[in-house]
Amino acid sequence: MNAFYLINLLVYAAVDAMACLGLSQQFGVAGVTNFGFIIFQAAGGYAAAVLALPHDSANGGFQSYIGGWNLPFPLPWIGAAVVGGLIAVPFTFLVGRRLRGDFAAVGLLVTAVLLNLLVTNYRPLLNGDAGLSLIPTPLRGDNVFSVQPVGYQWLFTVAAVVLAAAVYLFVRRITASPYGRSLRAMRDNDMVADSLGKNLLSLRTAMLVTGGAIAGLSGGILVTYITTWSPAAWGYAETVVLFAAVIIGGAGNHLGAILGAILVPVGFEEITRFIPTSNNLPPNLIPSLQWVAIGLLIVVFLWVRPQGILPERKRVIRLPAGSVPAARAGAVPPPRPPDARVPAGRPPDAQVPAARTVDAGGPAPQTEEQRRAPTEARDVMLETLDVAREFGGVRAVAGVSIQVRKGRLTGLIGPNGAGKSTLLAMLAGTLPVTSGQIIYQGQDITGTPAFRRARLGLVRTFQLASEFKRLTVMENLLSGVPGNRGDTFRGSLLGKRYWQADETAAIARAEALLERFGLEQFANHYAGDLSGGQRRLVEIMRALMAEPATLLLDEPMAGVHPNLARRIGRELVALCEEGMTILMVEHELAIMDEFCDPVVVMAEGAVLAEGTMEQLRGRSEVVEAYLVG
Amino acid sequence: MTIFLSSLGFGLVTASVLAIASVGFTLQFGVTDVLNLAYGAIMIAGAFVAYVVNQAGLSVWVGLVAAVIACSLGSVLLNSGVYTPFQRRGTSPITMVIVSLGMTLIIEFGVQALAGGTAVSYTMSQGTTFHAGGLILSVVQLVVIALSLLVMIGVHGLLRYTRLGKAMRATAANKSLARNCGIRTNRVITVTWALTGGLCGLAGVVFAMDSGSFDATATDLFLVLILAAVFLGGPGQAYGAMLGAVIIGLATEISAAYITADYKYVVAFVALLIILGVRPTGLLGART
Amino acid sequence: MSAELALPGLPLRAEKVTAGYGGDPVIRDITLSADPGEVVSLVGPNGSGKSTLLKSLAGVVRVSSGTVRVGDRDLTNSAPEDIARAAVGYVPQVDDVFSTLSVRENLEMGGYLLRRAQVAGRIGRVLAIFPRLGSMLGRSAGKLSGGERKMLAMGRVLMLDPGLFLLDEPTANLAPIVAAELLTEHVRHLATSGAAVLIVEQRAKAVLAISDRSYVLGGGEVRMEGTPAELSGRPDFVESFLGGRGAAAAPSGDA
Repeated sequence: MNAFYLINLLVYAAVDAMACLGLSQQFGVAGVTNFGFIIFQAAGGYAAAVLALPHDSANGGFQSYIGGWNLPFPLPWIGAAVVGGLIAVPFTFLVGRRLRGDFAAVGLLVTAVLLNLLVTNYRPLLNGDAGLSLIPTPLRGDNVFSVQPVGYQWLFTVAAVVLAAAVYLFVRRITASPYGRSLRAMRDNDMVADSLGKNLLSLRTAMLVTGGAIAGLSGGILVTYITTWSPAAWGYAETVVLFAAVIIGGAGNHLGAILGAILVPVGFEEITRFIPTSNNLPPNLIPSLQWVAIGLLIVVFLWVRPQGILPERKRVIRLPAGSVPAARAGAVPPPRPPDARVPAGRPPDAQVPAARTVDAGGPAPQTEEQRRAPTEARDVMLETLDVAREFGGVRAVAGVSIQVRKGRLTGLIGPNGAGKSTLLAMLAGTLPVTSGQIIYQGQDITGTPAFRRARLGLVRTFQLASEFKRLTVMENLLSGVPGNRGDTFRGSLLGKRYWQADETAAIARAEALLERFGLEQFANHYAGDLSGGQRRLVEIMRALMAEPATLLLDEPMAGVHPNLARRIGRELVALCEEGMTILMVEHELAIMDEFCDPVVVMAEGAVLAEGTMEQLRGRSEVVEAYLVG
Repeated sequence: MTIFLSSLGFGLVTASVLAIASVGFTLQFGVTDVLNLAYGAIMIAGAFVAYVVNQAGLSVWVGLVAAVIACSLGSVLLNSGVYTPFQRRGTSPITMVIVSLGMTLIIEFGVQALAGGTAVSYTMSQGTTFHAGGLILSVVQLVVIALSLLVMIGVHGLLRYTRLGKAMRATAANKSLARNCGIRTNRVITVTWALTGGLCGLAGVVFAMDSGSFDATATDLFLVLILAAVFLGGPGQAYGAMLGAVIIGLATEISAAYITADYKYVVAFVALLIILGVRPTGLLGART
Repeated sequence: MSAELALPGLPLRAEKVTAGYGGDPVIRDITLSADPGEVVSLVGPNGSGKSTLLKSLAGVVRVSSGTVRVGDRDLTNSAPEDIARAAVGYVPQVDDVFSTLSVRENLEMGGYLLRRAQVAGRIGRVLAIFPRLGSMLGRSAGKLSGGERKMLAMGRVLMLDPGLFLLDEPTANLAPIVAAELLTEHVRHLATSGAAVLIVEQRAKAVLAISDRSYVLGGGEVRMEGTPAELSGRPDFVESFLGGRGAAAAPSGDA
């Protein structure tokens, strides 16, 4: 009796821990709020059931279901995980970029409610409301091990616990990798992650599918243990229980997820066992109060301790012992040659004059710039052709054609509302253009999404603070690094040995940058805890870590102490001398004077003039724009 | 044709109940910025308040009034005691939704703990039935339709012609500017909770009348219909919610007649997912 | 400008105001005043803290130290709605109208604090000042042109007969000719009608032409103050906008 009780407890703990780990990975690490999580566990449960059950004609038709393949262990469990992962695929369209996170969550919740309804009412599919029963347990029947009941139960328990431990190692491995860092970056600020080259749709899809597979496996194990599965077992509220567990245990901390699983779903079942039953109590009272208590726990925990019992732990990163601190000189690697990302087959540095490349994109208006000699066009890194952007009928940018030269620090100035930030956002792909074309290294990138532009070496920073708050400064910097071998799903699974070399190199570069900008003592502080000026630096350094060929800076010195601003300016000039191209919006004109050449002036959505600050100051229309308008 | 007309009758009643609930929900979200998923739980709490009054020997219509008052007060308390403190802390919208789910459990199962798990019904007469062509409606159903029309006209009048209604719209459109006009937006928000909470209670009672018998979890599915109607019309859009309620209400009942009653909610489900995927601002919302 | 206006007129006294958005203060120790009948302008380069200053006076941004007095009342860190109730009319730079409400409803919201009987009369008065709004009362404010929108925003605050106007770049995004009309006809008129006007502007020359006094902000502090004549005479005035020793901003240059 005692042994059975313990076995029961352990199996439930293992199943719930798995589910919570999957949910914690989605919600706590990647910021994907999946209110339909229980669907995946249910799908795994049904999959395991119909894989293990014999054909429904075999049992006299007292229950009807599809499948009934009578497959041997471990195929039902494997099938459960596969089905759980597969049915996540159609849900990805809800978690793309377009939909607000809370609306997407509502969509998933509604889906969960309605799928439950469908399965309940449509009997031929999975025996409807009554659910499936007599589901074969693993290995029983075929006398391979000829185990005694208690011994068999223990074996099952060990298998479940081992699998739960494997899931724990699996999600931990993902989270600890550079790929996991990208997930956490997306959670903290998805637009910024996008601009650093993270493919949000791919990241979210991967999380929905892996979370679904884990949930499916947990469902499969549960179903082959309890041998029944019906819609009543997976109401939408069960998802809320799992959320309660993850929130209480600590979202983003995998041990917290396990702790939450033990405290909430398991603990609640067990505690109520010890409440004396009495005939005076109305039926349903205890289960109802359980639900009330779970609701209370969620609300109270979110108020008192939103980070959970075991908060997400800070990931302190240091250079592995023995590696030499990066040499001072040349600490910032020279930027990639501008053509590094141009597809093979294109001769290096052969930027075709824009006018010719553009042909494919339809007839482009002949602009002044295009008629210039092709020799000049050769060193044009980034070019816009009559780019415009409207917001609800207002033209924020009204037909701008500019050229940004390679290796130059180009300034962009103009009064408020001139359209500078809008232009920058269009160049980086954060905002789509209303009309016009953007040419980068001879390619038309007008329709290229932001993360792809970043991968082409065109990286932006933001005017508003955009650090990943719950990543350390070091992690913020590392999140900018492109092409780390561990920054793919596969790479993360191959483990630390696979990506450690890339990581070490990146850490060395990051340390050098931190030293260069005097923030080395903050490397392992959360970026969200820094002062405004320090956060700006983090953002610039993170953009530099992306090894951009072209850097778009939106007021990088806003809120930075003048001395530091000077230092940043000098560093930027040095980077340009090493071959980087920079376009910088800035309102501090003294900075423009000192570092930028040429300077482009915008006013009322159009380019007014271009030249050195000294020249511009002499031009009446510029003075007018600033003083009269 | 008869099938169509009788299902049209059901559809009109469902649409009426849904319209009351959806308009309340969408106004609540638009003005207060809380996506309050506990709305369905409050509805059923209201239905049970009316039941208690009804059991005490009073008319269910007295119970209806009691439910409106109770839900109105309850919603104000829910906001001031839970949602506002969280919002003041700068809690993210997604966490607010989780909080509201927590409140859903507390309220819904709190009601279940008090009421027991069995289904109950009001003691009331359905009144004479009227036949018009194939359309068959009882007096109570007609009253529900009339109540809904009254609520729609009332909400329209409130939003278009009264100072309070305009202040609500102003607060929804631009809270900061509303304060610059001297509008005490916190008060407007409290009044909005009271009003929409009242609508929620009203919706709960007419929902319970329409369903015949109900238990504490009866609105779990109805909340899906509300969400479908609200998102179809565009979140925060009162007229959108009315339109959405009519479309969803008629579509579910008419499809129930032609396919099977078990799957009538599927229409709402498909409508909601399509609108979320294709046009998240809804039919009447602004294009992004 | 035909319509007769008589506005109460409330003096503004800001003493050593420091404010910001949580982190480092954006404006530091700013002391300024505006008296009834006066247009006082705040000019300076982008990012000098002009808008933040105005927001701190309107109660939108928290003042961390210093005092704001309007008339005989201390309004430091009062709620925006209480500042509006103290007859201060604030027109923000963006989001300055209720775009989902009609023009008429916007004006009604501007007159939210009035008795019902007063509203129609006040709307009539606003329409006399901005006749163009008269033909579009039923139109949704989100569909107005930039100039019309700004007129509506000004009309909205006029509903309450403010004694002090706080105008944040009313001419931003307006065509120069519309901007000039707004400043010379309407903004100036507010002061002539008795109110105190504090206006933030990028178009420094245009606003100096209608100002009685002006403050030049830079780096969150007051760099210069004086009458338009005094300021225009200073060689460092243009420099404070464009930097450098330039000032050679004579319209002769053509690079």
